[in-house]
Amino acid sequence: MDLIINLTLNGLATGMLIFLLAAGLTLIFGLMDVLNFAHGGLFAWGAYSGLWIYQQTGSFIIGIAGAIMTGFVLGILTEKWIIRPVYGNHVQQILITLGLMLVLSEMLKVIWGPNQLTASPPEYLKGSWELGGVIIIKYRIFIILVGLFIFAAVQYILKKTKIGLVVRAGVMNKEMVQALGINIQKVFMYVFMIGAGMAALGGVLLGPYSGVIHAGMGMEFAILAFIVVVIGGMGNFKGSVLAAILVGLSGSFMAYYVPDLSLAVNMLLMAIVLIIRPQGLFSEGGVSK
Amino acid sequence: MRYVQGNKMTAFILVIAAFLLLLPFVYESRNLFILLTQIFVFAIFAMSYDLLIGFTGIVSFGHAMFFGIGAYSMGIFMKKFEPTLTYFFLAVLSTIVLTALVSFIVGLLTLRLKSHFYAMLTLSLSGLFLVLAEKWRTMTYGNDGFTFRVPEFFIDRTHFYWLCLCIMVAAFLFLKRFTNSPLGRVLQAIRENEQRTESLGFQVLHYKIAASVVAGVLAGIAGILYAISLRFVNTSVFSMDITLDALLMTIIGGVGTLVGAIIGAGLIEFAHDWLTELAKEHVIFERWIIFFGIIYILVVMFFPKGIVGTFGTITSKRKKQPAVKRKEKVAG
Repeated sequence: MDLIINLTLNGLATGMLIFLLAAGLTLIFGLMDVLNFAHGGLFAWGAYSGLWIYQQTGSFIIGIAGAIMTGFVLGILTEKWIIRPVYGNHVQQILITLGLMLVLSEMLKVIWGPNQLTASPPEYLKGSWELGGVIIIKYRIFIILVGLFIFAAVQYILKKTKIGLVVRAGVMNKEMVQALGINIQKVFMYVFMIGAGMAALGGVLLGPYSGVIHAGMGMEFAILAFIVVVIGGMGNFKGSVLAAILVGLSGSFMAYYVPDLSLAVNMLLMAIVLIIRPQGLFSEGGVSK
Repeated sequence: MRYVQGNKMTAFILVIAAFLLLLPFVYESRNLFILLTQIFVFAIFAMSYDLLIGFTGIVSFGHAMFFGIGAYSMGIFMKKFEPTLTYFFLAVLSTIVLTALVSFIVGLLTLRLKSHFYAMLTLSLSGLFLVLAEKWRTMTYGNDGFTFRVPEFFIDRTHFYWLCLCIMVAAFLFLKRFTNSPLGRVLQAIRENEQRTESLGFQVLHYKIAASVVAGVLAGIAGILYAISLRFVNTSVFSMDITLDALLMTIIGGVGTLVGAIIGAGLIEFAHDWLTELAKEHVIFERWIIFFGIIYILVVMFFPKGIVGTFGTITSKRKKQPAVKRKEKVAG
């Protein structure tokens, strides 16, 4: 019982981190039709800059805020300089965002050195609680709560506010939204900024969770996020959270019982989804070719 | 006109190939030949990538997996069995079968969907192969890899240099012929406009899968040569860096030209060699890939045709320009 609860919490926490990365990917894809291969780079930048600020100031909260700000700034710059010039050309977009990924992760190595850095949670999130004989690590609960909070907040914005309405309309039909006199370009920029901010938040939360960060982790998590985006359905925000939890849980249970197969199981899941439901497990609409 | 120009280009390439063929007789430098061999191997790899990205318009981010399959099957055959020519051919055969099979399955799964899916699936699948190579220790000896002996014929570096050169030229001529065949024409039509090609009655999916299988097998052959040239194989052959190399070479050299892939391979390998030397002077050159990343982004943005394509446009413009200029002078 103890083991199952811990594996579940572990899976949920990992799932939430992947969700923070995948949510931005799927929103950007749904609205702008851009699959951002540099998203993992933004994630890694969040981790490094957040950890650096955390170590400089000694406050984890400021570190998180700094990481999110880094994500916002990088997101705006990326959208403005990298994505906008090649807007509408799929092949060029895919190529250029991968190039950006390369530059971003190499820049990390230039600034912080090629070796991995260690990170640990602040005092008040260290340690664990004991509930009826089950040991629960505090930091995992913290990650799950942050993930749920972000999910709820984005869901609220999407469903209840005017800007959310515009975004949802944009996902359905960009041209129509533009024809109604709304500056969709500006909405693109905000969505990209928020997506990058969420990725950076995921990155900074990962640091103390896994203990070490390195420049290659952006790509590792990006692969998981792509799997999540395919399983959840491209452009489907709610699907991405469910798929992220699914991938996180299967990863954590597999890593315990059959460690060698943990990535293979997720890949298999993705292959099955691609064969039987290319529009994603949790999507209602048809597949866009 | 274009046809003549294309033939000129091929003739030019063949002259250079002949020069390289005779080079070992007049010039002796072990390092240079090792570097050139490396360039030939990566040129084959980059050309196979060009078939996908430049001629069919498919973006793959996992081309390293075919390269790695080739490298590992050669390594495993040489290590587990005798390093003789018989097992060499068996390794080549198994590489061809495996790469064809994998590229066929991946293509079947994703090529009917948007281009993003193929890029994503190949990226994660090559990640899976990397993990497989790390974990299957009895076969691959894990992360550290293993060294192996090669058949006698390949021990002499000059022989191997000639072999790689010949295979590169053969691959170039084959791809040239392939892309100009009716099948290749359909592939280019798919790149230009997929819907139109489909409405003309072509089974787009079949053609795309054919392209990805050919590219996969060629990449596997490049992997075989790479493993033989190093006499060592480890998990890095499956890494993202290999795919990125192919991507940089093809894009910077010029997509859809084949020659561009060769020039790109030469440029990047030479620069790599040179910048690694420079790294002793200043630490920033250790991160040489960052320069190429920036150049790559600029090329994608401003010169989507790469070096060869841009150069070709400039020369063809210059040929037309005199007439225009004369008119302007009259007007002025």
